[in-house]
Amino acid sequence: MKKIEAVIKPFKLDDVKEALSEIGIYGMTVTEVSGYGRQKGHKEIYRGAEYVVDFVPKIKIELVVSSERADEVVNTVREAANSGKIGDGKIFVLPVEQVVRVRTGETGTKAL
Amino acid sequence: MNKTSADILIKKREDLIKQFLHGNEPEFLEKHASLIDEYFFTMFEKSYAARDMTIKGFPFAVIALGGYGRKEQCIHSDIDLLILFKDSVPPEVETFIQELVYPLWDARFEVGYAVRSIKECLSMAFQRFDILTTVLDARFICGASLIYTSFMEQFRADLSDNHLDSTLNYLFEHGEKRHFDFGDSTYRITPDIKKGFGGLRDYHTFLWYAKIKSNIMYRRDLEYYAFLSHFEYLTLEKSLNHIWKTRNFLHYLIKRKCDTLHFEYQTEIARLLGYKSKDNQLAVEYFLGDLHTKMDFLKQINQITFEDILSNIRIKKEHSKSLPTKTNGLIIKKRRLTFSNTVAIMQEPQLLLKIFLESGQRKIPLSIEARRMVYEFIHLVDDNLTKAPDSIKIFKKVLALSYWEFNVLNVMLTTGLLEKFIPEFSAIVNKIQYNHYHLFPVDKHSIRSVQIINSFRKARGLPVDTLYNSVFKEVREKNVLIFAALLHDIGKSDPGSEHSKAGARIAHSILKRFDFKEIQIKDILFLIKNHLLLIKTATRRDISDEETAVLMAHKIGKIKLLRMLYLLTVADSKATGPKAWNKWTENLLRDLFLKTMGILKKGELASRKTHNLIEKKKNIVLRLTKDKWNRDEMERQLDSMSRRYLIYVSGQDIVNHINLYKNLGSKDFTWQVSKEKGSNIRSVSICGKNKPGIYSKIAGVFFMNELDIVGSQAYSFGPGYVLDIFKVKQPRDKIFEKETWEKAQNDLTRALKDDHFLDKAVKKIPKMIKLSSGKIPRSNSIKIDNETSSFFTIIEVFTYDFPGLLFSITNALYQSRTDVNVAMVSTKVDQVVDVFYIKGLENDTKIETEQELEQIKNAILKSLPKIEAKEIKNEKN
Repeated sequence: MKKIEAVIKPFKLDDVKEALSEIGIYGMTVTEVSGYGRQKGHKEIYRGAEYVVDFVPKIKIELVVSSERADEVVNTVREAANSGKIGDGKIFVLPVEQVVRVRTGETGTKAL
Repeated sequence: MNKTSADILIKKREDLIKQFLHGNEPEFLEKHASLIDEYFFTMFEKSYAARDMTIKGFPFAVIALGGYGRKEQCIHSDIDLLILFKDSVPPEVETFIQELVYPLWDARFEVGYAVRSIKECLSMAFQRFDILTTVLDARFICGASLIYTSFMEQFRADLSDNHLDSTLNYLFEHGEKRHFDFGDSTYRITPDIKKGFGGLRDYHTFLWYAKIKSNIMYRRDLEYYAFLSHFEYLTLEKSLNHIWKTRNFLHYLIKRKCDTLHFEYQTEIARLLGYKSKDNQLAVEYFLGDLHTKMDFLKQINQITFEDILSNIRIKKEHSKSLPTKTNGLIIKKRRLTFSNTVAIMQEPQLLLKIFLESGQRKIPLSIEARRMVYEFIHLVDDNLTKAPDSIKIFKKVLALSYWEFNVLNVMLTTGLLEKFIPEFSAIVNKIQYNHYHLFPVDKHSIRSVQIINSFRKARGLPVDTLYNSVFKEVREKNVLIFAALLHDIGKSDPGSEHSKAGARIAHSILKRFDFKEIQIKDILFLIKNHLLLIKTATRRDISDEETAVLMAHKIGKIKLLRMLYLLTVADSKATGPKAWNKWTENLLRDLFLKTMGILKKGELASRKTHNLIEKKKNIVLRLTKDKWNRDEMERQLDSMSRRYLIYVSGQDIVNHINLYKNLGSKDFTWQVSKEKGSNIRSVSICGKNKPGIYSKIAGVFFMNELDIVGSQAYSFGPGYVLDIFKVKQPRDKIFEKETWEKAQNDLTRALKDDHFLDKAVKKIPKMIKLSSGKIPRSNSIKIDNETSSFFTIIEVFTYDFPGLLFSITNALYQSRTDVNVAMVSTKVDQVVDVFYIKGLENDTKIETEQELEQIKNAILKSLPKIEAKEIKNEKN
C-alpha cells in the first residue's frame, strides 16, 4: 500500500476531489496548510502599509491506496491540480506498512 | 441477605430506568434517589455492625451529600455518603462499610464515602470549600438523626459567624475560574452541561448561595424566600428538567457518568427526547436550540448570584449610595445601572430603551433588577415607541456600542427588547445549524458579528492601525455596515431557500422601518445578498489570476462596498468559529481584498463604462459568429478571455483571433497577416501557446527579417495562450512579400524550439544611433511602477526608435528571467514610450525585491544604444 500526499492550490481541491471520485476514490484527509517553495510569498500595499504574505495558503490531501493503484491516483491528482503555473504543488508517495480499521479490526487493503 | 437487598435495588432501578426511557417517569431523579435511600434503610436495619456500634456508645448518622443529597440523582451519578459520628470513630465501622457499600461497588455503582466525627467534618468543611459545598446539600438518610441535626446547627452557626465572606468569595472566584476553564457551554459544539457556563453547576452555585444566605433546604424555597420571582422559578424548573433529561439519556447511551454532550450522541439524544425533523430543520437542531435556551436561563441565574455577591460582599460602602445619571429616571446603584422607580417607566416607556444607551455609553451593565424590569414592562414598548424617529436614533446608537467584552446587545435580546424593534429576529433566536462548522446559534452569531465590527474601531493607546482598523476608519456609513452584520443571516429563518437571497428579501421590509435612505438600503441589501462572495472566491478561485480580482471588482463595483463587504466577511467568519476563521483563511481573504481594491482603484478594468463596453463586444462577437459556431461554447470562450483583451480589441478582430485559436491544433502558434486599407502597414495577429519568451522571439524574428515594427500589443488569451498583435511596415522586397512572411514564420517555429536561434540577431542591434533632428537628445530612461498592479510589475521605457528596438528590450526582459504578459508599444515620430506588464518566469508573480528590479532596469538600459545628435558640429559651424 502507498500513502499519497499532495500539496495543491486551494481552488483546485474540488477538481481533484471530483477527478478522484471518477476513478472510484472517495476517501481522503484534507488539511489547510501554508508554506512556500519556488512560489515565494509576496506583499501588498494598502495606504502605505505593507502586508506581507510569507507563506502561501495551500491544501494538503492525504490518502492511502493499494500499491497497484498508486500511479493511477498520482496521475489523476496531477492532471486535476495542474494549472500550468508555478505553485501548483507537489505529490509525495510513501510506502505504508499496515492499515487497521478501528471499528472492525480489518487489516491491509480490506481496511482501505 | 446483603446480596438480596442490592438485587432488589438493581431490579427496581432497572424498572425505573425503563419507565424513564418510555417517557413515563417525570420524577425520575427524585425516585432514583429514594430507591437508593431504601437500600440504605434496609441495610442499616439488618446490619449487626451498626447495632453493635450503637450499643457500644458510638451512634452515627448516614448522610447523603452532593447531588444525591439534593435528590437529583441521574442514571450514572455518583452516590456520595457521609458516615458521621459524634465524637470519635470506632474501628467496627470497617465492617459496616463492607456490609453497606461493597454490594453497591460489586453492582458497579459509583459510591464515595467518608467516615468522620463532627469536629473533623467541621474543620475540613471550612478548610476545603469543595467539601463545604457538599455539606450544604447534606441530607439525613438513616441512623441517629440527632447527630445530623447537631452537626448542621454547628455548621450553620460557624458558617454565618466566621466564614460567610470567605465562602461567598470562594463561590465567586471558583465560578469565574470554572467559566474560564470550561468556557461558555452554550457556544460549543460539545457543551459541558454540568461545569460549562450555562451548565447545571450554575444552578448549584445559585442554590448554595441561597442556602448560605437564608438557611433554605429545597429548590422550591428559592421562590418562597424570594430569590426568584414566580415566573423565574417556573422557568428554572423547566430548564433543569430539560437538562437533566438530556443528561440521563447521555448517561444511558454512554453507559457511564458523563457531562460532555459529544457531537456523536446529539442526534440520538434528540430522537430519544422525541424531537422530529420538519420544515427542512433537523430534529437535533430543534433539540440543541431548546437546550441553548435552557442553558441561557441558567446563565442568567448565575448572573443573579454573581451580581448579588458582588453588591453584598465585594463592593465597599462608599459605592452603595445611588448616583444620578444624565438621563432622568435612571440611576447608578452599586456600580449597576437601574431605573429610579417603576413609575418612571410607566410615565416614560422610552426609558426601557434609553437604559441601554446609557449602559453602552458609560460601560455600566444593567442591574439584574433592571433587567427584570425591562422584561416585565416590555408590553409598554409598542409600535408608536419603536417607530418614533428618536427611538430609532437611539437604537442605532446602541448597536454601535456593543462589544464582545461588553455585551449590551445580548442583554437587549434576553430582555426581549431587540425583538420588539425587529420582530423578524425571533425566527433565528437559538436557531442551530448542526455541523462542526457553526459554533453559535444564528442570533448569537449575528450579535457577535456586530460586536466584532465594532471592535474594528481602533482602541485608544494602540500604536499602529491594523488593516481592519484602517479600513473601518474609511467606512463612512458605519450604521449601514452594522445593520448588514446584524441582519446578514436573517434569511436562515427560512431554511428552504438560499439564505443570503432570502435574507435580502426579509431585510428589505425591516430596513424601511429604520429611517435609511434608499441608497443605504440598497447597499445593506447588497451586502446581505453577497456576504459569502469574497470568502467563497478566496477559497475556491485562483486569486493569483488577475481575472479573479477583476471579476470581484466587477461584481462589487464600488470601493465603499468592497470595504464594507470585506469587514462583514471577516466579522462573519470570526463569529462562526475556528473552522471558518484562522490564519489560512485570513491570508486568502486579505489577499483577495487588496487585489480587488487595486483593480477598483485603477478603474481601467472594472468601471461601469468598461463593463458596458465588454458586454457590447461580447454581443458583437456572438452576432458575428451565430451561424458558424455554437453559442454556449462561444460564451464560455469569451468568459475565459482576459478583460484587457476584450476592452482593447475590436469585435471583428476577436472573431478572427478565435479562428486562429481554433486552427492552432498541436502547433506552437498560428498567424494571420492582413493588409490595412490604403496604407503600407501589415497587421500580424499571432495566437500561440504561452511559451516563455514568445513575445520577444516574435520581435526578434521580425527584426531578423527586416520587418519594421511600428506598434504592438500583447495579451493573455485565456489560460495557457497568448494573443499578440504586431503592426509592421510592408516588407522592402515588395515582389516577394509572400515569401518573406513564409520565411519569418519558419524562423519563428525554429526560434521557439531553440533558445539560441536568435543569438545572431542580438549582435545586429545597433550600439549607437544618431538623431536626424539635430536636437539635443534626451537619454534613455526607464520607469518602474510596482504599486499600480498587484499582479504585474509595470515597466515603461522612454527612448528613440531604431530597428530592433522592441527585440532588444524584450530580449533583455527574457534574459532577466521575466515574462511579458501585456505590452503596449507605439511609436510617435521617433520618440517611443513602450509599456510592459511583466512577471517573474520562475514564480509567476510580480517582481518583489529592489535588487531584482534594479537588475532588470540595468539590463534594459544596457541593451539600448547610445543616443547622439547628428552633425552637431556642422550646425555649430
